[in-house]
Amino acid sequence: MKKISLFQLFILSVFALTFSGCQDFLEKEVLGHATDENFYNTKFKLQAALDATYNVLQTDQFNSCDWRFGEACGDDVWGGDESLTSQQGQLSHFLFNTSNDWILSRYEINYEGVNKANQVIANAHRVQLSNDDYSEYKEVRQILGQAKFLRALFYFNLVKTYGGVPIRPEKESIDSLIVPRSTAEEVYAYIEKDLREAAIMLPARFTESNAGKASAASAVALLMKTLLYQTTPGEPSDEWDEIVKLGGYFVDGDDMTYGSILNYDGGEDWETLRKRLWFKPEEVNGATDPYETTATLLPQLNNAYTLEYVDYMGASITYDEMFYQTGEFNGGSVFEIVFKESADGSGGDVNEGSGVYGSMWYSPPVVFTNASLIDDIFGNDPRRTLCLTHNDYAPDGGVCFCGPGKYVTLKWYTPVKERPQYGGDNGKNRRLIRFQEVVLTYAEALNETGNREAALIHLNRVKTEANTINGTSTLYIAGGYGYMRDQIWSERRKELCFEWDRFFDLVRQRRAAEVIKEYGANRANKRGYYFRKGVNELFPIPQKEIDISNGVITQNPGY
Amino acid sequence: MKMKNRLYSFLIVITVLVLASCEKNETPSDPLAMFSISSSDLEVNESMEINFTGQADQVVIYTGDISHNYDLITESNTGFVVNKNYFTYAFATPGKYKVVCVASTYNDLAEDLKRDTTSVMVTVIDDNTNIDNISCNQIVYDEVFANRLNDEWLMVLPRKVKFKNYQVPVSLSQRLKFYTESDSMKLFINDEEYNQTTKYDLSEVLDISVQSNEGTNRSYALYTAYYPEFSSFKINGVSGTIVRDDYVYGSFEVNVVLPAGTDLTNLTPEFTTTAVDEKVYVNSIEQTSGLSVIDFSSEVTYTIQYSLENKPEMVAETKVKINVAAE
Repeated sequence: MKKISLFQLFILSVFALTFSGCQDFLEKEVLGHATDENFYNTKFKLQAALDATYNVLQTDQFNSCDWRFGEACGDDVWGGDESLTSQQGQLSHFLFNTSNDWILSRYEINYEGVNKANQVIANAHRVQLSNDDYSEYKEVRQILGQAKFLRALFYFNLVKTYGGVPIRPEKESIDSLIVPRSTAEEVYAYIEKDLREAAIMLPARFTESNAGKASAASAVALLMKTLLYQTTPGEPSDEWDEIVKLGGYFVDGDDMTYGSILNYDGGEDWETLRKRLWFKPEEVNGATDPYETTATLLPQLNNAYTLEYVDYMGASITYDEMFYQTGEFNGGSVFEIVFKESADGSGGDVNEGSGVYGSMWYSPPVVFTNASLIDDIFGNDPRRTLCLTHNDYAPDGGVCFCGPGKYVTLKWYTPVKERPQYGGDNGKNRRLIRFQEVVLTYAEALNETGNREAALIHLNRVKTEANTINGTSTLYIAGGYGYMRDQIWSERRKELCFEWDRFFDLVRQRRAAEVIKEYGANRANKRGYYFRKGVNELFPIPQKEIDISNGVITQNPGY
Repeated sequence: MKMKNRLYSFLIVITVLVLASCEKNETPSDPLAMFSISSSDLEVNESMEINFTGQADQVVIYTGDISHNYDLITESNTGFVVNKNYFTYAFATPGKYKVVCVASTYNDLAEDLKRDTTSVMVTVIDDNTNIDNISCNQIVYDEVFANRLNDEWLMVLPRKVKFKNYQVPVSLSQRLKFYTESDSMKLFINDEEYNQTTKYDLSEVLDISVQSNEGTNRSYALYTAYYPEFSSFKINGVSGTIVRDDYVYGSFEVNVVLPAGTDLTNLTPEFTTTAVDEKVYVNSIEQTSGLSVIDFSSEVTYTIQYSLENKPEMVAETKVKINVAAE
């Protein structure tokens, strides 16, 4: 018998090693690990999934895409990067193509949020309760309600940026990864349903260690904004009437029943709806447990929020302090992105909020304003004092180093005493929805529906508070429809400027082309002048999405 | 020893294979610029789709409009990089554009760049003659919009506007503002080109003609009326005070205070309106001054209507609430 040579042995062992990799010991059942089948069986795990959804709001990608579109494309600021060779520059010049990085980035981060919220919503039914107490149901209900609010928020960002987008199935399947686009109306209806349901599932305001969670007020405020984006100024519509109804409840304290906010028509059996939304089922409801019907009243919101500048405890603060750590969860803060986290900023362990504050205030700021724009926005309004230029002192003595000729707003300033030990820990909450905006939305709807006297009262309530900054007494005055509308829009700009919503506000006012083109015509680099009416109100669906869908996802007109 | 040699030769072969995987730079193949276009006759904002069908490592399209003109490539005009051989674009302004496709090939070190270009002429037309809205944008501080009835518009203006403590009269000589879908259309008013700072005499019907960039004409007419008003309102010889609403131009209140003990159920008001052809109604019944009898014990609202001569469908309407009280 021939001896096996060393070479043959070597070759054999290589083959043996190569093909023997698959062994039973590698295929043991995983024990003690969460799988998607068993993960959501307790409320704590459902809460963990909700936390992951909130985490999307904290990402730099989410926040930077908000200012890149909402602020840098608008007419309140100049951009730090307006070069036609950069992706951001092309975006804010409206000279981008459909493969623009930021257009893709905003699309992806909001769908990431949708996906995470969907996992909470689709799996909530798996939660097993440890006992049958009413409070157990309430806790799960509130988790589910917040997920619905967050999903609505992400879809709202998508629909206002891209128009009708694909509505992802709550339970994703590998067989149907490509979903065609729904119409904008369908997406808005989907958002509205989530928000109306969230409104009855959540309390008026979360307090103490729960402060910052999305509340019924957050849901109602976003619902009003969602409706506002479906209106056309000057054209009567159901949406305007609906905003007036919701504003009456939120701002004026009118009663609102569950049936009324849901526009409940009996299409879904009430008990089925209650079970789906984690209200305690009728059959196990104890004698002392409340039983919610269509006639149950929602909690009053108008005493939970105020236009006055007061902090969480109700103590007076100044206008600028509303935007600092001092003013977190202040009397007018309806929803904030909470940047509290375990990171302390040392050793690369960075608070995700620090990116926001680093880029808005410190030199060179990514967007900034200037003296003539400030005149344009504010006129003589005292809120103009919030804008500081190079070497100006903030109220607490901090110095502004944004660069000569530039102005930045105290809304993104971190006072000296609030500055953390490590720069990377800088992360006060971002105010996303404020009561001021709710009241102004209400006032606008009142004007559109012919109730101008009430519109003026609400408009002046906001202005009166702003006047306390330096004791001026200028108020808005009565007038016809167009004059009232212009006054409301002007106040909206003064109050909400530099909060990254200007571009979208102009689009929904149906005057983006007019305003942005005029702004661009006055700029040396013509940024904004290339805005195309009828096209650039919506951004294109990212090219990548169209490519991978093999044309199932269609492009917006004009791209 | 034979075995050892075999092992060595095996190792040498492996080493050669590993080290030889970087092949030498070959000269790039010749590029071929070829593409298909969805249509070369387009409307403004209509998507033009281009599918690249040639051969290239990199494809760039110059669309030919502002800042993307291939002939101005030395003056920092730029093209769009084509991703996956597919490109879409829409032109904002009408005109003829040369769409140039540049196909290039190069080797791995980006040397030996070879180019091929091809082009196609695209015609973009704008035949839009639509007016979305017309307004008088300087009614004191207000902007008042006209109502549309097919291709005719009716502008209804207040005679006076309450502003702070003043009653500012509104003349019929006003600036106009047009909201249009196209920037390239031309507007003519009574055959003269529209100017946004010119004040137009609205007491006459204005002929508005729109000429699209393609030359299509469309005519509109703008009629103007004032909101009708009471110039006086008397009951039993007592004049009422006429109060203009702060917010709604077509809304008034008249307050009449009659002597104590007057029977409010059976009164005959005397009134005059600002123009002779304004008609006055209560609950759709036409009223004649000094003749029609009204029960003022509950709230009464008068409607004053003014319709344009030969244009009965064009109506300006005012509601007047009458408050009658006995002292």
